[in-house]
Order: sequence, then structure tokens, then C-alpha cells
Amino acid sequence: MQEIDARGLACPAPVLQTKAAIEKANPNVIKVVVDNEASRQNVCRFLESRNFETSVQEEGNDFHVIGKLKEGISPEISTDKKASTDTKKIMVMLTTDRMGFGDDELGLKLMISYIKTLKEMGPELWRLVFVNNGVKLTIQGSEVLSVLKEYEKDGLHILVCGTCLTHFNLLDKKQVGETTNMLDIVTAMQLADKVINI
Amino acid sequence: MPPGDLERALCGLEFPTDPNLIVGLDRADDAGVYKITDDIAIIQTVDFFTPIVDDPYWFGQIAAANALSDVYAMGGIPKTAMNLVAFPLKDMDMSVLRQIIQGGLDKMKEAGVVLVGGHSVEDKELKYGLSVTGFVHPERVLTKKALKTGDRLILTKPLGTGIINTAIKGGLASGQAIEFVTHLMAALNRDAAQVMEGFPVHACTDITGFGLIGHVAEMVVDSGFGIGLWSEKIPIIPEAFDYAAMGLIPAGAYKNREFREGMVDISSSVKQAVLDIMYDPQTSGGLLICVERESAGDLVNELKEKGIDDAAVIGEVLSEPKEKIIVS
Repeated sequence: MQEIDARGLACPAPVLQTKAAIEKANPNVIKVVVDNEASRQNVCRFLESRNFETSVQEEGNDFHVIGKLKEGISPEISTDKKASTDTKKIMVMLTTDRMGFGDDELGLKLMISYIKTLKEMGPELWRLVFVNNGVKLTIQGSEVLSVLKEYEKDGLHILVCGTCLTHFNLLDKKQVGETTNMLDIVTAMQLADKVINI
Repeated sequence: MPPGDLERALCGLEFPTDPNLIVGLDRADDAGVYKITDDIAIIQTVDFFTPIVDDPYWFGQIAAANALSDVYAMGGIPKTAMNLVAFPLKDMDMSVLRQIIQGGLDKMKEAGVVLVGGHSVEDKELKYGLSVTGFVHPERVLTKKALKTGDRLILTKPLGTGIINTAIKGGLASGQAIEFVTHLMAALNRDAAQVMEGFPVHACTDITGFGLIGHVAEMVVDSGFGIGLWSEKIPIIPEAFDYAAMGLIPAGAYKNREFREGMVDISSSVKQAVLDIMYDPQTSGGLLICVERESAGDLVNELKEKGIDDAAVIGEVLSEPKEKIIVS
């Protein structure tokens, strides 16, 4: 049985540790030791949301939360991962609004052309992620806005870095895609079969 | 601090009083109110906390909106403010502080408030907030305690910021949820306060650290009335349900429940997730307005016209059972 000692930790740390342990090792039974009521209830809630049955033993000032995976069901996260198969998944990450270094005007032209041509990847093009200066391609006045909107309508997932938009004070000006965070980006990288960095 | 601990610390202490003091510590209200002339009373309040979002500029805005809110909740208009800053000089670049203060300033500008000074200390943990002074007519002060049977309760912002902030801390909040909650917490309660001026409002408070139930409890304690809350009518940020089910509930929510559950009766049809969210501590939450029953619909409509889309009637004042909260 996998065991986690989450004593001395404040919310949400015990839940995060439990989550990491389940996702790493896919255990059928897991024990999480916590030392406060909030963590006890939060860890129970989390395990139940991942199809575990929970029971709690009090030992002194500690709570031992035991989670047993319900029979015939794997934790939600692993089914998620299995669902994606067949077509390869290509993630393109755009960290700039210019292609290459040197002449800025040329760089912009190349970038516009690159985005317009991306559709040639077909259904394998899975996610388009804009970070740093790249987010400027998704705002009002961007020359590729109509192309990106077209892609989005066709079902392409477009993610735009929220921290970057905030940094440039462009949060209200974004016209396409879903505002995202680093965890979404890292998860996307992990799930993708190929990541192309521009 | 959790509600129970604070009461224990203050219990039995004697506070000086004054005939011009309209609202003081004994009332456990949003802010203090002191009469200067027959036409003018000043409202004083202070609030500061540690960062809840990663972006310093937005943190500054949120901390300022949160501090200003207490003046609006008393029916007043904030006029002047002082910055309160605790900053880890050795670990953080001064540009961070600059952005926080810029955020606070922009919010004060929006509220028509002038910054008149401040105080800063070096501290291991970053904290920011404001001390705010506002004006109100002494006869138009809105406290928590002038309920009338049949009055309706209107909430002006959706609940769930504490849970979403816990998800943000854990790196599990979606970009969309972060963006929504950041704007929500930074939004001033000024427009809602302006709208309610034209209505027969009997009481008002803002929803912050004690959660919806904690603040409703403050309204009913020693009031001679009870309050019924309609769980299905309460506006809630959709993502809060998902994160609550995942156990991303702040410890403060459990403390709030522990302290107040004795005075709450819950109908069996109430969903557990909604109940969790009703105890969730809010940052810069909405106003809870207690208005005459006949005017409630019009007040909500006017709030919505002002862009306060989530405003909703969420409960009523009951003559019985006294000093209880009935959640249905």
C-alpha cells in the first residue's frame, strides 16, 4: 500500500501530494496521514472524486485516510490518458510574433505566412499555444486574427498565456483562444506526441 | 483570524465609548462610524492581506477594492486612504512593490479616493492593503442590524473565490477561472452601493472572510430575527463546484463552519457542494443587501442594468425561528 505523510502541511498541499501519488503509481489502495480536520475532509473529497472509497482512522492527533479504488474502475485521470489514441498530436508553441531573428518586418511577414500555412498539418495539428510576445498575435488588429478564428471554429484548441497578456496589459484585447496557465501548457506538452517551438 | 479565535481575544475587554460613536467595536460591523456634525459622520476601516493572485498589479487592485468595500457596505462614500505595506526587501525586487502600489492607486482613482499617506515595514511575508476613511450622513448609516420580517436579501457577486484561490495556489485552476476570479475580486462594490441608495434598504454588509453564512450569522445574532437562505438561488462561480469536489477547499471554510454550524438548520435537499461554498471565505466579495420585500425585484433589475449580472435574491428575513439560519 502506498503511504503519504502529509502532516504539518496546509491546504491544498495534502491534496496535491495525493494527486501526484495517484497519477504516478496508479495505486489500488492508498493511505494519507494528515493532522488537521480541513486536510482530512479535503483528501477524502479528492479521493472520492477519483473513484476511491474512503475510510478514516483517528490515531492520536492524526487522521489516517485510507482510499480503496472501487472495483472495475481506474482512477479518472488514467482513463483520460487512454482515451486519446489514433491521430498523432502536434502542439505548436509560438513564443514570439516574429519568425526568426534579423529583420523585424520580414519576421512578421514570415510569421503571418507560417500561421496561414499551418493548416497543411491537417488533423494532426492539435494545439496552438501562444506565450510571451506570441500573445500579440491573438489581439485586436493582429493580421492573423481571422485565420486563427477560422482555425478555432474548425475545432483547433488555441491557448493564450494569461500571465503574458496581463504583463503586456492586453487581457481585455485578446480576441481568440482560451486564456491559459503554465499547468495547462505543461500538461499539453506532456500529452502531445510532438512539440514544435517557434 | 478565524472568527472564534478573534472573539475569544476581544471578549471581556472594555472599549472606551463616546456619544458620537454611531458604530463601534461592540457591533461587529464592517467599519467604525463616528458623527462629526448632524450632517456628517466619518467611516473608518482597515484591511490588508497576503497575495492571492500571482500578478502584483492585480493583487494591488484586489487589495484596494477589498479595503474600500467596507465603506460601501456601510452606505458611505470613501474619500481618503493610506497604504499599508509589509515587504520582504531581501527576497523581492522593488519593482514588484511598485506594481502592487500602482494597482492600488488605479483602483483608488476609479473610486474617486485620494491616497494621503501610508506606512511600510520590512517583513518576511508580503502584505498589502489600505486604511480607508469615508463619509456618510449619520442617519443613512447601513449597519447589519435593522432587519424586518419579510425583507429580501440580495447578493451582488457570485461565491467561490476562496476555493478558486486555493486551486490557484495548487496550480490546478484553469486559465479561464483565474481570469474570471481576478476581475471579480478587483471589481469595486461602488456601483452596487450607488444603486441601493435609491431603495428602502434596511441593512447591508459585504461578504468576506467569514463566508456567506458567517456574515449572515452576524446579521441575525442578537437581532430578534432569523434568516432563510435559498441555496438554489445563490450565484456561484461554476468552477468552484469542480474544485470543491476535488477537495480544494481552504481551511478557513472548515473553521467558518465549525464556528457557525450550531445556528444553521439545513434542509435535506441542499447539495453538499453548495453548503461548502456557503462557508467559503471570500476575498473582496459582493454586498449582501437587505431590502424591503416589494422593492427586491426592482433593485435586482437595476443592479443588472448597471452590469452587475450575478445579482440575485437569495433569501429572506424570518420572524421565527429567532437567531437561526435556515438553509433550504
